[in-house]
Amino acid sequence: MTQRSDATGFVTDESDSVPSAPFFWARPRAAYIHIPFCAHKCGYCDFASVAGQDDAIDRFLSALDREMASQLTPGTVVDTIFVGGGTPTYVSAKQLDRYLDRLNHWFQVSPDVEFTVESNPNTLTAEKVAILANHGVNRVSLGAQSFRPHLLKQLERNHDPASVGRAIDLLRKRFDNISIDLIFGIPGQTQKEWEEDLETSLSLEPNHISAYGLTYEKGTPLWKQRKLGIVEPIDENIEATMYEHLMDRLNLNGWEQYEISNFARGRKKCRHNLYYWANAPYYGFGTGAAAFQNNRRTLNLRPLITYMERVESGESPICQSEVLESESRARETAILNLRRTEGISRVNFIETTGHRIDDLAGDPIRQFVEHGLLIDDGETICFSRAGFLLADGILARIV
Amino acid sequence: MRTEQIRNFSIIAHIDHGKSTLADQILLKTGAITQREFRSQVLDDMDLERERGITIKARAVAISFNLDGNEYELNLIDTPGHVDFNYEVSRSLAACEGALLLVDSTQGVQAQTVANAYLAMEGDLTMIPVLNKIDMPASRVETVREEVSNTFGFTEDEILSASGKTGDGVDQILRAIIEKIPSPPGNPDGQLRALIFDSHVDEYRGVIIYFRIFDGTIRNNDRIKMLRSGRMYETLEIGQFRPTRKSCGELSAGQVGYLISNIKELKDVHIGDTITLAADPAQEPLPGYKEPKPMVYCGIFPTDNAEFENLRQALEKLSLNDSSFTYEPDSNEGLGFGFLCGFLGLLHMEIIGQRLEREQDVDIVQTAPSVKYEVVLQNRETITINSPDKVPDPSTIDFWREPIAKVSFIIPTESIGGVMKLCQDRRGTYIRTEYLSKDRTILVYEMPLAEVIIDVYDKLKSLTRGYGTMDFEIIGYREGDLVKLDVLVAGDKVDALSTIAPREFAMTRGRKLVAKLKKEISRHMFPVALQAAIGGKIVARETIPAMRKNVTAKCYGGDITRKRKLLEKQKEGKKRMKQFGQVEIPQKAFLAILSVDEE
Ligand SMILES: Nc1nc2c(ncn2[C@@H]2O[C@H](COP(=O)(O)OP(=O)(O)OP(=O)(O)O)[C@@H](O)[C@H]2O)c(=O)[nH]1
Ligand code: SF4
Ligand SMILES: [Mg+2]
Repeated sequence: MTQRSDATGFVTDESDSVPSAPFFWARPRAAYIHIPFCAHKCGYCDFASVAGQDDAIDRFLSALDREMASQLTPGTVVDTIFVGGGTPTYVSAKQLDRYLDRLNHWFQVSPDVEFTVESNPNTLTAEKVAILANHGVNRVSLGAQSFRPHLLKQLERNHDPASVGRAIDLLRKRFDNISIDLIFGIPGQTQKEWEEDLETSLSLEPNHISAYGLTYEKGTPLWKQRKLGIVEPIDENIEATMYEHLMDRLNLNGWEQYEISNFARGRKKCRHNLYYWANAPYYGFGTGAAAFQNNRRTLNLRPLITYMERVESGESPICQSEVLESESRARETAILNLRRTEGISRVNFIETTGHRIDDLAGDPIRQFVEHGLLIDDGETICFSRAGFLLADGILARIV
Repeated sequence: MRTEQIRNFSIIAHIDHGKSTLADQILLKTGAITQREFRSQVLDDMDLERERGITIKARAVAISFNLDGNEYELNLIDTPGHVDFNYEVSRSLAACEGALLLVDSTQGVQAQTVANAYLAMEGDLTMIPVLNKIDMPASRVETVREEVSNTFGFTEDEILSASGKTGDGVDQILRAIIEKIPSPPGNPDGQLRALIFDSHVDEYRGVIIYFRIFDGTIRNNDRIKMLRSGRMYETLEIGQFRPTRKSCGELSAGQVGYLISNIKELKDVHIGDTITLAADPAQEPLPGYKEPKPMVYCGIFPTDNAEFENLRQALEKLSLNDSSFTYEPDSNEGLGFGFLCGFLGLLHMEIIGQRLEREQDVDIVQTAPSVKYEVVLQNRETITINSPDKVPDPSTIDFWREPIAKVSFIIPTESIGGVMKLCQDRRGTYIRTEYLSKDRTILVYEMPLAEVIIDVYDKLKSLTRGYGTMDFEIIGYREGDLVKLDVLVAGDKVDALSTIAPREFAMTRGRKLVAKLKKEISRHMFPVALQAAIGGKIVARETIPAMRKNVTAKCYGGDITRKRKLLEKQKEGKKRMKQFGQVEIPQKAFLAILSVDEE
């Protein structure tokens, strides 16, 4: 394994970075499957998720299978499978077993395939853990978000903090690749509480952490509460300090930041996400799922019933579709690549997009380098530590 | 129609004293509109007028009215109250023999009450004083009656009282109009002489001319001639506003109405021109009007330079219905290509800005208003300057001259001290004090116009808790010791932020200006230095610290389109923002100089 310490001071190893040079016209090597069911709807959530529609689970799983059948041949070879939600493990053991069986039918599942299932701590049982493992799932991403009851309440999450430890104990027996999701910048959260949440997470010894600053998404209850002044967003400076602490803490002791919000230990980067950031193609199935195939991005419709009705009557559940012309696609590649710690490789960029990054964004790159927000060593362009904090503003100049 | 049956009158008053509301009541009482057609301020039909509740354009309506068994025709011209639109008032008055002088009985005599009453006196109009809003609990009918009587010399029982809201007193007003206002002079059989007092463009019919006939008769299909411009047209439609356009085929001496001809552009019609018949033309034109001259200037630039042509078309379109503002192409290093525009006053400027954005849908940046200076150069040449970025190299300047205004304040006596201090701080010269009543005073100062437009009006309002009003007129030019105050943003001079200031205040203003700009310009991803300089020497400096965090991180799963669109929207830039190098400057920053004294 070759390691180098780049100009950011971050350690990156090259052996397992980007899955081999992807081209958008190539056949997808990643697949996303969306299971929308949840025990209840969290206040900040704008994912395609539904609560209280458990009666529809079986019907949905049939529709999902039918959607996959319309595009896949049995045993399709992929490199990563990612089951997201919603809460994919919220369904009954029997239902879990049912859809994982079908995924094993449509895809060739092997130990080389990164097979992730998202989960919420209080939905996991020994039985479900066994079902996951027996179907070739080898990575579980656990939505912990916080370990403080008052912050979980603020987020309207219904689990008890101790359930995260219990879930990890259960998972440990069968999995060596566990990721924890965290949220910071929750109204009322202090710096100290955040640091403790991070330490608690580390003490559970995950291999991967995704940490997101809370965003207020239009239409969510949280967004309305902010508008009405019931909830006050956290101060920009505190949020910045929280994020800086995250980066500093997780660039030590074998941890490595490999993207704005993603950190891995022992080279357990999420390969599935790396496909997104490489702007490589992927399949997408289920309500609200996005897919990228043959240079076309598509989005499935979100409403559960409509999705099922469409698929059942043999129609496509796609509600949005977009083909970008070459330059816009190249810009899109740039903003995705740049999210990664390793940034944009000039050589790679021209190979995959046919455009020179300097023709597209030479001026902003130079300016941001001047302001110390980007680092340009001639071969690659990447965020500096200060640049990560201002990522949106930088990406907005390049898109 | 015999002239004895006609009465032509205007309603004049200080802004918001209830002219348009009273006009509504008169229309209602005389049956010109029915209760069903009624909506507040019927005559204010421009969107902006209705929204702001002010009248901008004068309106003329013909009303049939029966009193004691006799038929009359009343022509009512509603006028704006704001100073900026004074010229509309004087034009309207020239079409009338009388005026209702309306005074809000909760407010008393105000600056434009006096200014407009003087206009009516100059025009030899018969004035009927009316105390308005008597339905309001705050109404002080007796005190205000005394004030009106003292100020204008009416006897107390000449002064009527009314409520435009309830309709109280409107019958007495109608009777007074018939009994006191003289019927118009003129001979229906004489040579045609009609005064054009206004015009506007109708999308479908082209130019519509408002006129008042002094002599003769005009009919459909007449061949007419404009005495001043010499142009000839054929009348297609003669009519009156009742209150919507109604064709009537013929109008004669004393009457007020409109005509439609095949005139396409407003600039072909001169307000104040005299209409006569081509076949039998009158020799003497009626006295016309002075063209209103712009008093304040500002740059108007498209936020997006590619929109220049759209902006030009939009300005052209607006000027079709408002010939009182001027515009000429201008360019400026930071703002690119745009226009230097002249206005009658600040309200006028604001209104044009809003109409551009609202009706014409162009996103603009407006620079701070400037007056028109005269600069005498070392070589004895005199140049005029109406924008700070046009100031020549100081070493070539011998001296400056600036416009001076005579400002009349009407204020509660108790705030005299504060207002006098304000005037002194604004380089004012004291002229005189007059007492309107025991607790209200007229204070007159001469002051550079540039100081008047900065914020004297807002300051006056706060010093007098809203009770003070002011009016001003330009009385000429005087020498002034002025300098150009430059502003540098991130090290680069931004001409659009520069200003002309008296040398004695320049340093303080520079300091306050950069402090204010620091608040108006939002934080960037890097620190932004703000500096003020006089003749190349830095006199003030502030730094806007860099923003700390804007990353939202979330990538929306695989929904990359969504993230990309969010970023693109962010890139598109915000409305009314202008990019200078790497710094985005919002519209508000360009007007910062107007409110530097706020804190
Ligand atoms: N209570 C009461 N309110 C009135 C009366 N007359 C007018 N108002 C209110 O006073 C405000 C101003 O009335 P307008 O009729 O628009 O005044 P204006 O003089 O035409 O205003 P400008 O044309 O802008 O100079 C409005 O809110 C009216 O509703 C009145 O007799 N009684
Ligand atoms: S568990 Fe996740 S998907 Fe479900 S409602 Fe909460 S945030 Fe949304
Ligand atoms: Mg009005």
